[in-house]
Amino acid sequence: MTATDLTTLNTPPSTRRSRALLWMLLGIVLALIFSVVLTVHVAAGGITDAASISKAIAAPAFTNMLGMNVLVGLAAVLFVNQTGWGTLRVILTVGAALLIGFILMLLISHDPLKAYNALLTGPLSRTNRWGSWVEDAMALTLVGLSITLVFRAQLFSLGAEGQIALGAMAAALVALYVPPLPLGIHIPLAVLAGCAAGFLWGMIPGILRAYLNANELVSTLMLNPIAALIYSFILDRIKPKSAGFTVSEPLTAALLPRIIDGTRVTTGIFFVIAAVIITWLIIQRTPLGYEIRTIGANIKFARYGGIDTKRTIVLAMSVSGVMAGLTGVYLALGIHQKLILGLSGGLAFEGIVVALLARNKPLAVPAMALLYSYLRVGGPIMQTDASVSLEIIRVIQSIIILLFTADGLIVFIQARRTKPKPPISEQDAAHIAEGAAAQP
Amino acid sequence: MNTNKQKRVIIEAKAVTKIYPNGVLANNGVNLVVTQGEIHALVGENGAGKSTLMKILYGLERPTHGQVFLRGEPVQIANPQVAIRLGIGMVHQNFMLVPSFTVAENVVLNTEPTRGITVDTAKAIAQTQALADQYGLQVLPEAQVDSVPVGMRQRVEILKALYRGADIFILDEPTAVLTPGETRDLFAAIRNLVNQGKTVIFITHKLREVTEISDRVTVMRDAQVIGTVNTNESDERMLARMMVGREVFMVVNKPPVKRGKAVLQVRDLTYVAESGKVALDNVSFNVYEGEVLGIAGVEGNGQTELVEVLTGLRAAAHGTATLDGKPVPSNDPRAAREVGIAHIPEDRLNNGAAISSSISDNLIVDRYYKAPYSQHGFLQLEQATQNAQAMIEQFDIVTSNAENPLQSLSGGNMQKVIVAREFTAQPRLLIAAQPTRGVDIGAIEFIHQQLIDKRTEGLAILLVSADLQEVLKLSDRLLVMYNGHIAAIFPDPTAIAEEDLGLYMLGAKQQSADDMEALQ
Repeated sequence: MTATDLTTLNTPPSTRRSRALLWMLLGIVLALIFSVVLTVHVAAGGITDAASISKAIAAPAFTNMLGMNVLVGLAAVLFVNQTGWGTLRVILTVGAALLIGFILMLLISHDPLKAYNALLTGPLSRTNRWGSWVEDAMALTLVGLSITLVFRAQLFSLGAEGQIALGAMAAALVALYVPPLPLGIHIPLAVLAGCAAGFLWGMIPGILRAYLNANELVSTLMLNPIAALIYSFILDRIKPKSAGFTVSEPLTAALLPRIIDGTRVTTGIFFVIAAVIITWLIIQRTPLGYEIRTIGANIKFARYGGIDTKRTIVLAMSVSGVMAGLTGVYLALGIHQKLILGLSGGLAFEGIVVALLARNKPLAVPAMALLYSYLRVGGPIMQTDASVSLEIIRVIQSIIILLFTADGLIVFIQARRTKPKPPISEQDAAHIAEGAAAQP
Repeated sequence: MNTNKQKRVIIEAKAVTKIYPNGVLANNGVNLVVTQGEIHALVGENGAGKSTLMKILYGLERPTHGQVFLRGEPVQIANPQVAIRLGIGMVHQNFMLVPSFTVAENVVLNTEPTRGITVDTAKAIAQTQALADQYGLQVLPEAQVDSVPVGMRQRVEILKALYRGADIFILDEPTAVLTPGETRDLFAAIRNLVNQGKTVIFITHKLREVTEISDRVTVMRDAQVIGTVNTNESDERMLARMMVGREVFMVVNKPPVKRGKAVLQVRDLTYVAESGKVALDNVSFNVYEGEVLGIAGVEGNGQTELVEVLTGLRAAAHGTATLDGKPVPSNDPRAAREVGIAHIPEDRLNNGAAISSSISDNLIVDRYYKAPYSQHGFLQLEQATQNAQAMIEQFDIVTSNAENPLQSLSGGNMQKVIVAREFTAQPRLLIAAQPTRGVDIGAIEFIHQQLIDKRTEGLAILLVSADLQEVLKLSDRLLVMYNGHIAAIFPDPTAIAEEDLGLYMLGAKQQSADDMEALQ
């Protein structure tokens, strides 16, 4: 065997493609089976016998729930497809974090197994808990996409908080003050208003960074309290006189229709799916995405090549603002159905975690949002079911976040080096070495 | 040096094979024998496996098969700490120094002499000075590293290894970053090391350096050792043949120049750097269709600024540059490209490429927004891939896939990617700055031939190079820059005495303005 024979050791690309397709199909089949089991489990309150299945099918909105769970399964398949062997790494990280959490739990709980059981299976124990998980994941997906866009340009943003608030405000104002319109017109109008608000609020730090070289980390952070004050100022003006709290009239127009009884899961899912696809299209398939990726890879090269780097910075920040604005729209029209103070509840910062976990790949964001919100929802359940105080839950969550982000940050810093599987086995290597030794 | 000592093998690699996890076979049954007290040159094209072999000796990589022997004993060099303990030191191409520390602090770093719990600075300085004196490596122990010249930083690296007790020095392309003067100093230092019993392994691309400094030379090609020869029994042609597997024609096949009309006209171009330094001082010249105008000069005499003003990366303070009679856009690289200026930048990793992006992405940075690469608001990825595949074929870029990241390529192939992009931009004027720096001989030859072919087809080429042989070989006219202005214009580079050229480059001579006007 000589060195030239080496090429035959590598699998030809066509075989590789069809093999990947096969894996993909297998994944989809597994995801479908998983989603059926999951739906039956949640709808029937646990699978005990064959009767559970008929009970589940009889449950209201079984089909819609099944549909949502199919999407959950597909998100996981998409993640594996995008991340490849990195999936293993994510699983190991989660496992390690949960293990540390469990050790902590041993120290503080009378019944650590029960508590951990509540954390890990709680979100699937009742339809409303399952609903909280899915609702939260949808919001996290949108914020995660927003952060992904700026990260791809090697920029940073802590401004989603403010963009969410103003996006929610804009959408709610359209819902409250535009005369009643058919839902098919009113909702898009509100969505557009929310996106526009996010776009403009994202543009400000973009312009400051591009033209005045102001650190976007600082400017996005500082714009948050300004947005919060604008939000509470307007809310204070529009709240009903009788209201004791600072809260708007309940929204009646332009609400996202709820599709599963007992939950706040809405048709907003279509906006989320669209947002994932659009973000992916922008990054991978548009000239703007090429510009964003290129300034992220090497801004000097981008300028040398003729890319208007200032414009690209402004647009990356603005489009990121659109996704955050959309999150606000979703929270106002889908979840709360009114404007309240502290609408986002710290969601913005957790979007950063999701983006890091997803390695800034838009198609990997939904799965990581689902994973992360599962833990977000599992915490309070552990509190009620196992009476472990919420502070302890926060500690466990923090450990998990710390491990997640430490792992994610390392990869982010290492500029996402991929480690492909070695196509040559030890045995082949031995053959090559023999061949080399046999050469004159 | 007695013959006995010379023959004793100090370090040996036997049948070393290295296969990287991505399947690249970097070393294939390599044998290397280095004897005590010699200067052993290791040459080969980029990607021939030299660096991998050295990384194995220094413990940065583990061999897949094979064994390393030190003074006859098999050793496992698991990591650089082990290598240092065994007396093997390495000076990397990119220095591993702490820029904000002093020279002495860097030398003693991690093994500092202490006084109580604090570092004994005075002792560190004294030890550094003593080592420097012993081996003739001139440094300023108390100077901060980022304020000292590159040549001195390199000496600090060597001192660092000496301080840690190294007997074997691996120098990875040490002259790539040095001026000719600094190179001379380095060679003197290497001879000093060897005279005091040390052994030096020296990686280089430059055959002249091999013949000048080494005792023996090992040539690598395609992950294998082609042979080891005594330097005094070899010549440049023979080594070149061993490296590329065929005779390298040192003379480019160059048809006579057919000069057309003036494409680029530069008049009184002046650029003032942010520091206030006048980096370009009233520069005037023309570049004509069908000619290569070479710019020679010691680096840092305004060449970089000239190129960057002409390519829209910087704005001139005053003066004009016109392309086909229209002004060259100022401070707008895309506009400059659109009027027909292509640019091979001198710093390919910083400006010319995004190494984490794919080859195909790197090849469309100047055209991604135009049809057929963008249509109806979307990127046409198949077009980008086709474009990349065509260029990989045409420019002989060695890669398995156009979607591989650029960093998977060797230096020479990376440069070919840049050359491919700029050549296919259909420019009116091609500005090539250091087009073959750090590139292997095969790629140098290829790029040179491409430049000549384009020029013969009628392209106007402005060639800036610190490699004198390169500018002399390729240029149809030659211009010398010194201290931001033009020191001389030579209408026929073949007729220049190298000595004369040196005098202009070093500012000892200056042509009069009238003479230069007549030669435009």
